[in-house]
Amino acid sequence: MKKQIIIFIILITAFLSCEKDDICIDAITPNLIIRFYNDTLHTELKKVELDSVWAINKNGLSAYKGVSTDSIAIPLDLTENTTKYIIENNSIKDTIEFSYSRNDVFVSRSCGYKTIFDNLQISNNTNNWIKSITINNTTITDEKAAHINIYH
Amino acid sequence: MRKRHILIFIISCWISIQSYAQQNTDTIKRQESYGIRLGIDVSKPIITFFDKQNKGIEMVGDIRILNNYYLATEIGNTTKTTNEDYINFTTKGSYIKVGFNYNAYKNWVGMRNEIYVGLRYGISFFSQTLNNYTPNATGTYFNSAPIETGTKFSGLNAQWYALLFGMKVETFKNLYLGASVSFNKMISTKEPENFKNLYVPGFNRVFLNDSGVSFNYTLSYLIPIIKKKK
Repeated sequence: MKKQIIIFIILITAFLSCEKDDICIDAITPNLIIRFYNDTLHTELKKVELDSVWAINKNGLSAYKGVSTDSIAIPLDLTENTTKYIIENNSIKDTIEFSYSRNDVFVSRSCGYKTIFDNLQISNNTNNWIKSITINNTTITDEKAAHINIYH
Repeated sequence: MRKRHILIFIISCWISIQSYAQQNTDTIKRQESYGIRLGIDVSKPIITFFDKQNKGIEMVGDIRILNNYYLATEIGNTTKTTNEDYINFTTKGSYIKVGFNYNAYKNWVGMRNEIYVGLRYGISFFSQTLNNYTPNATGTYFNSAPIETGTKFSGLNAQWYALLFGMKVETFKNLYLGASVSFNKMISTKEPENFKNLYVPGFNRVFLNDSGVSFNYTLSYLIPIIKKKK
């Protein structure tokens, strides 16, 4: 009888072996990744001295206050099809307006839906410290590579 | 003298064996009822009473086909709203499970209880309605509001098999109280587009590796049809 019970328990465990899916571990809505390059030598990364980065009518992103970096990851507004950012480098401000279309994709029970972006475009920008901007990828599905290069 | 003693011993042994044999043939032959047992899951109306988001009904039935084997079935209907962190959806549909139970319990004379193991094949037809969802993004820089969609995915189905473990106790004559736990494993599902069958009627919550657990607590009545002498 004891042996039978053990066999039964083993059978149930093998049968079931539930996986926890209460905690979201999958990739969710990606951020927009921007890398900064040297304007005279386009292959060379060049750091920016960020005073602050903020979306219009918002507070500055806490991760980019007074930092020196060659890349930033910024969130896009999920309720609008445009997001306007102001990047302040060495006390000089430049405004970039991104436009895109949104697509919600199902991920999992705990993660729900993530938003991916298509047709990424720069609809408007100023050129105070920024010399030029190129778009590497018009669709934003992950954070593996830079979507936009800024030359300064 | 000695010979006489041995003779008496042999005779007495023979008599006692005889009386034993007599006793065996004298006992009343007990009857075993074979019939249809029908019942309902009593837990589902109670759950509905406390949780309005979870409506369900389940009918159960079995037929004794061999001494310890029963053909068994469960038929039910469920309407359940599931609320997760970023999604809220309603599942609505019906299911049927068929299979057999093997009674592993050796009853005392006159008792008709069961501790059984069983196998089932289950099939369910249902729809999923995605009530709302909130796009999931890291941080709270932009406020993400829930999007009310109400998208309905109809014509979905699922098939699974289940390993069952349960018991039935005869409380009054022909009236049984039962409980069982069922470990389910999905065979195939028709998934909605850009969504997933996270809950299936009869299968319950679908875990990541396509397994699930369901319970029932039944009250059933045995309609005796044939009485076999054992």
